[in-house]
Amino acid sequence: MMKKRLMAAVLAGAMVLSVTACGGQGTSSGDTQTPASTDNNVTSDAGNDTPAESEPAAEPAGPVELVVTTTFAGEDTNAQNYKDAVAAWEAETGNTVVDTSASADETFKARVVTDFETGSEPDVLFFFNGADSNSFIEAGKVVPIDEIRGVYPEYAANMNDDLITASMVDNKKYAVPVNGIWEAMFFNTEILEEAGVARPGTDYTMDQFKEDCEKIKAAGYTPIAAALGNIPHYWWEFAIFNNQSPATHLDIPASVDDASGQAWVAGMNDIKELYELGYFPENTLSATDDETFAMFTEGKAAFLVDGSWKVGGIVGACQSDPDDPSTLDADKLAKFDVTYVPGKGDRKATDLIGGITSGYYITRKAWEDPEKQAAAVNFVEYMTSDSVVPKFAQHAASALKNAPEVDTAEFNALQIKSMDMMAGATSLTGVLQDLFQGDCRVPTFDGMPEIVTGRVSAEEAVAEGLEIYSNQ
Amino acid sequence: MGANIYRNKKPVLVFLFPAFMFMVVFLYYPFFKNILNSFMEIKQLGSAGTGFNTPWYSNYVEMFHDQNVWTSVKNTIVMMIVTLVGQVGIAIVLALMVDNIGRGKQFFRTVFFFPIVISATALGLMFNLIFLYDKGMINQLLENLGKQNLTDWKAEGIALFTMMLPVMWQYVGFYFVILVTGLNNISDELYEAARIDGATAMQKVRYISIPLLHNVICTCSVLAVTGALKVFDLPWVMFPKGMPLKTTFLTGTYMYYHTMETKNVDYGAALAVLIVILGVVLARIVNAVFREKDY
Repeated sequence: MMKKRLMAAVLAGAMVLSVTACGGQGTSSGDTQTPASTDNNVTSDAGNDTPAESEPAAEPAGPVELVVTTTFAGEDTNAQNYKDAVAAWEAETGNTVVDTSASADETFKARVVTDFETGSEPDVLFFFNGADSNSFIEAGKVVPIDEIRGVYPEYAANMNDDLITASMVDNKKYAVPVNGIWEAMFFNTEILEEAGVARPGTDYTMDQFKEDCEKIKAAGYTPIAAALGNIPHYWWEFAIFNNQSPATHLDIPASVDDASGQAWVAGMNDIKELYELGYFPENTLSATDDETFAMFTEGKAAFLVDGSWKVGGIVGACQSDPDDPSTLDADKLAKFDVTYVPGKGDRKATDLIGGITSGYYITRKAWEDPEKQAAAVNFVEYMTSDSVVPKFAQHAASALKNAPEVDTAEFNALQIKSMDMMAGATSLTGVLQDLFQGDCRVPTFDGMPEIVTGRVSAEEAVAEGLEIYSNQ
Repeated sequence: MGANIYRNKKPVLVFLFPAFMFMVVFLYYPFFKNILNSFMEIKQLGSAGTGFNTPWYSNYVEMFHDQNVWTSVKNTIVMMIVTLVGQVGIAIVLALMVDNIGRGKQFFRTVFFFPIVISATALGLMFNLIFLYDKGMINQLLENLGKQNLTDWKAEGIALFTMMLPVMWQYVGFYFVILVTGLNNISDELYEAARIDGATAMQKVRYISIPLLHNVICTCSVLAVTGALKVFDLPWVMFPKGMPLKTTFLTGTYMYYHTMETKNVDYGAALAVLIVILGVVLARIVNAVFREKDY
């Protein structure tokens, strides 16, 4: 009897211990990767430990472990560049990086927000500088660049400050940028030749575009590769831009009746017109973006409005092994080119959408930790240095003051065409949809099929979105 | 003394406690927190509520005016009917046929059960290729048969059918295995007696197999209906955001859409509450309709 009781007690104890141990391991691991909020508070409250505002923290005695979260992971074209750069920094400094990077999807964004709310934020974060960052900036959880410069005057000194995006919350600059993005129009030269359409130039207009689409349609091809029921984002952006100007594009309307509101309505109606003219794929309302992109790369659709990140996708589609650049079919890639989205009204075709939408933040927690402050600053300086940034930026823009000359021999044909196209840009306007985020986008983004089929008027959809925006 | 160990239940409680705590932490706490969240204003996924909505029940009022809620509830009910008729119905037919063959029962059990072991996401991707508009498997077959135009299997009129077909197909094998096991439990003596009395094969099915399978069919029906409420991954992979024109939303996919896509987290929480209420009500109805009999 006693033996059985003893056995039961031992088993129960073992179970409890194993549960505790599991919890303990998690906590321990969590402590290592992401210090708990209590630790944070201790550091924050310990006024004596916090370095003086204008003096750098003393060099730590030993190597420092930095927790870094970025979006350079998964399918990101810079994932390997990031790993290489981190390894080089670790070798140079003796410090280590606990990398908690992940692909930039909604789950990742939610994780970052939650980490900040629970005090488990990383030391350095590479993240979006638009509305996505509002919550942790409002909470004062990241350090403005100017405050860091008060202690480290050379911090981000190689960047053109005019190109660093300010926060929507307080108009201060927090994120040191690496690479920019642009949005433009890719096209298939073979289809255009077959349809008798000239290469679109710098003065391309919507009227010319519609004429060209008609010829392409008559030649048996789909003029525009776009999944309006899935990703109407880029047409949404340019359709609105075409009814505004670079100076007014980022003005979010106060109401549907003001000039900006009416421009949005006109933009939605422009997309509706293209849909009614039959220029989008027949299944544009039920197709996914992957399907319509495949139409474009397989030579079934002529135009694709998308971003600089799609260059890699097009090149990948021209490789027999998407992961092996040596398998590139150069002849196939030569059929693809990139040009300006047709202009209208006050917007010239060469007025592009783009900018720098992400950057490195240093969190308040790392800044106030004397052990980590210098390492965090050094890490960001290294990752945004003149030698590292060009590797990440490639054919896209960067905010470097003195961008080094790039060796075009390192780039493929489409990347070189992209650089040529960018060289002809007359302006680069920020991305409106980065400012107009959340469920306010639903009526005109997810509601695009209802707009183009006439089930909901553009006016109603825009008004509904603006009302949600004003209530946010 | 020796029997006392069986009367002392305290050690059992100690063993139950970890599992109980696990349920509390990972099920009941989130459940009640979700109810609270449905009344709160939550600005984005991952952040806590900033206060109560004005009025606090506004999400529930909005739900009644949201056409997509009604579409998703209607589609979910259609899914249940399809599940009942398609999954359980086809499984009964297959089970009866396999039960009547002499050899190869195990082969058919394995073949029909196999789709269950494939993840719904993988199946969704596979059926995406089958129903692909541009040179998908079915459209290629139709083209070879002389059809000139491509068919958009995900177009508005036909999308629901395209979504429910793979869901139905996936679980037929599950109910098939349960029903075959039920048929195996019916005594051969009954069939032998019926054969001596001159009963035909159909009469044996009508008067022996089906009545004695009643309880098994009831169990399958309850599982099928409650399972239909939880269908999510395959429809979402094939028809993200309720495409086309928000006609393919199910209650689960619509809740996910609001939580993860539109960032209307508190409304998503309210929809989750609706799903629970719907589940409880329908489960009670189904349990009442498919009441098991005592023999």
